[in-house]
Amino acid sequence: MAEQKKSLEYRFDEVPPAGHLLMLSLQHVMLMFVSVGLPIIFTGQINETTEFASTLVALSMLAAGIGSIIQSAGIPFIGSGYLCPNVCGPSYLSLSLSAAWAGRIPLMRGMIIVAGLVEMALAPLVHKLKQVFPTFIVGLVVAMVGISVIRMSVTSLFGLEFRGDAIRSEDIVIGMVSLFVMVISNIWGRGFVRVYCLLIGMAAGWLLALLLDPEYRHALAVIQHSEMFAIPAPGPEFRGIHFRMDMVLPFVVIAISGSLKSFGNLLAAQKISEPHLEQVDFSPIRKGLLADGFSTALAGVLGGMAVDTSSSNIGLAGSTKVLSRWIGVAAGAVFVLLAFCPKVIVALSLMPKPVLGASIIFAGCFMICTGFLEMFSEEWDQRKTFIVGIALFFGLSTAFLPVLYARSPELIRTFFTDPLPTTTILAVVLNLVLNLDRIVARLLERTAKGG
Amino acid sequence: MRRYRTHFSVATGCLLGFQLLLLSGCTSRYDDLDLSAYEFRDTRNLVRFVYDASLILEQEGLSSLGYFRDNYTRYNTSDRYLYIYDMQSNNLYHAGMPSLEGRNLSEVTDIHGRNISRMILQALRDPDNPHAWVHYTWWSPGSFYPVPKSSCLFKVKTPEGIEVFVGAGMDFPHEEKEFARIAVDGAVRRIETAGAEAIDELSDPRYGRNYRDVRVFAFFRDGSLLISPVVQDSLMQLRLLECRDEVGHQPFSRAVSRLDTRDRVWEVFMVRSRYQRAPVRKCLYLRKTALGPRELFVGAITDLPQPP
Repeated sequence: MAEQKKSLEYRFDEVPPAGHLLMLSLQHVMLMFVSVGLPIIFTGQINETTEFASTLVALSMLAAGIGSIIQSAGIPFIGSGYLCPNVCGPSYLSLSLSAAWAGRIPLMRGMIIVAGLVEMALAPLVHKLKQVFPTFIVGLVVAMVGISVIRMSVTSLFGLEFRGDAIRSEDIVIGMVSLFVMVISNIWGRGFVRVYCLLIGMAAGWLLALLLDPEYRHALAVIQHSEMFAIPAPGPEFRGIHFRMDMVLPFVVIAISGSLKSFGNLLAAQKISEPHLEQVDFSPIRKGLLADGFSTALAGVLGGMAVDTSSSNIGLAGSTKVLSRWIGVAAGAVFVLLAFCPKVIVALSLMPKPVLGASIIFAGCFMICTGFLEMFSEEWDQRKTFIVGIALFFGLSTAFLPVLYARSPELIRTFFTDPLPTTTILAVVLNLVLNLDRIVARLLERTAKGG
Repeated sequence: MRRYRTHFSVATGCLLGFQLLLLSGCTSRYDDLDLSAYEFRDTRNLVRFVYDASLILEQEGLSSLGYFRDNYTRYNTSDRYLYIYDMQSNNLYHAGMPSLEGRNLSEVTDIHGRNISRMILQALRDPDNPHAWVHYTWWSPGSFYPVPKSSCLFKVKTPEGIEVFVGAGMDFPHEEKEFARIAVDGAVRRIETAGAEAIDELSDPRYGRNYRDVRVFAFFRDGSLLISPVVQDSLMQLRLLECRDEVGHQPFSRAVSRLDTRDRVWEVFMVRSRYQRAPVRKCLYLRKTALGPRELFVGAITDLPQPP
């Protein structure tokens, strides 16, 4: 039995058989599809048409698909070579909307290209981070990647579309059943059941939703009006690329924040894919960040929404122990193909929100625990207690107390944005400050030796 | 080989299941009920709730009042309660406040002095208001403070040939874009039928289609105001066409130019919020009509739903 279980797990450089590769990539595609909600939300917020939404979804999927292929294929100079697919980045939503309001899609495209180029420029600097990212901070960052999806996953599990709207008991049941099926399949399942635990949980949740809630059944009718195959045809509103100087700074800040998030994701992917590494290997991470920036810039060129590495998919890979990077390549290819199939896009976008929420929670659990295990894997002392504790207090407070930070001084507002970047920055700074005596002693020692 | 066959079977099964899903088109008892205009689930639930009750009344007639009375708890939840009136505003059934049953409420006004029964009867006749929405101030059963309320109503002709209306409302309702559309479309219709005489009625803050902070305003192509969106009198000259939002976008100017090629526009803009890091999104709904020889733009501004 153990042999069978092992035979269905793949190391990051192994190539699974074609059928298995297809099914495993579909499992990742289902999770990647969560992000397709972003272009739809975006369209609603700028009051554009359904045709606009379909085009934006298709272009964003193209960018995310190509980005996933580049990220996972492991070609020279670019791409981490880990199973780390790209999806539409939620961190860019708010600023993309600001750009679209100020200068419509051409300005959004231009500013996304700027953000992508900034991310690419930051990539070569990553090896300099070796000193400031000791193991326990790497663990903290990985845990924060999981923690940062809590808000999105829980609101989705409860089926919430807008702030303050009604919650239905059916949605809670659907979400919980879906989550428990995933967890039970992962813990007690064997062979296929374990490897496809996410797909099984999603199917169970979706089926239950169709049985329990007429709204989900009724929504399926719109599939009939979609075409099976269509080439994305951007309208005149997509034409042109504009830039605006006053928007450069916010986009640079979000690009740095996005780079930090991808840095955390890539660290987690490395930890899962190559657990034997005693120290972080910064080479694939640098190439991964380069690929991430390139994909973001590509999204701007194509006219889609900015893309980012997906924490949930890394969590899924870790929980199933199926780590082959070729699954990332295949998932990217499937995502590109799906961009030409409006009927399938519409069908998948009708997946009940509670099922999506359950999937993100399932993957997020793994990220959080991997991070904590990593964090406490080395000897602990009081300095680390305060570095991690204070960073967590203030980092998490940005999620618990958004109103407080909305009214805080400009300087604090700039740096205290979201849990992941805030915790990371604080941990790095505190690590330097609270170890100042050791750093000075080391410098003095080196000087003395030199003398 | 056996393993590949299993893979193939699983893949085929999934694809077949997905195909079934693609081909499935389902029907429901709400097929005739168009809820696409509403963004909030609370609003859609309320319309369905009233619609279901209207179907019972339509089929069973006044004898169904007994059924409604036997099921007070079903028709009085923490979110809403049902009521039924005849067209003379005599209360036939009230799940939230049963003591009102048998009383005539035609003269009842809310705290702003608006006659609720009159607003309801107007809404039921309004072709721009398919679910007869009315907005007023009421109070929750058992409480002692006023709450803003939005009610939706259906007119029903019972098998006995009696016309009644059935409705329910929600306290602290969400601001639906549809409510702004109803207000503006109704105002445009009124201007097109009554001309300048309609302006006094629309300028009155108690105008029935205004609700909470959403009010109908009007201006000419050169930007001069006929009905101000912010103040009643001309304390200061508001240059709408030059107004810019938080990101420098000119919503009025852009909406007016877009109206050259279409009948109505929704224009999103951003405003600063004290309680949120990012600016809050609002929406301008604008239509073009004529007042005498001059082009007139009629609109209203409403909030947009915030992501969870």
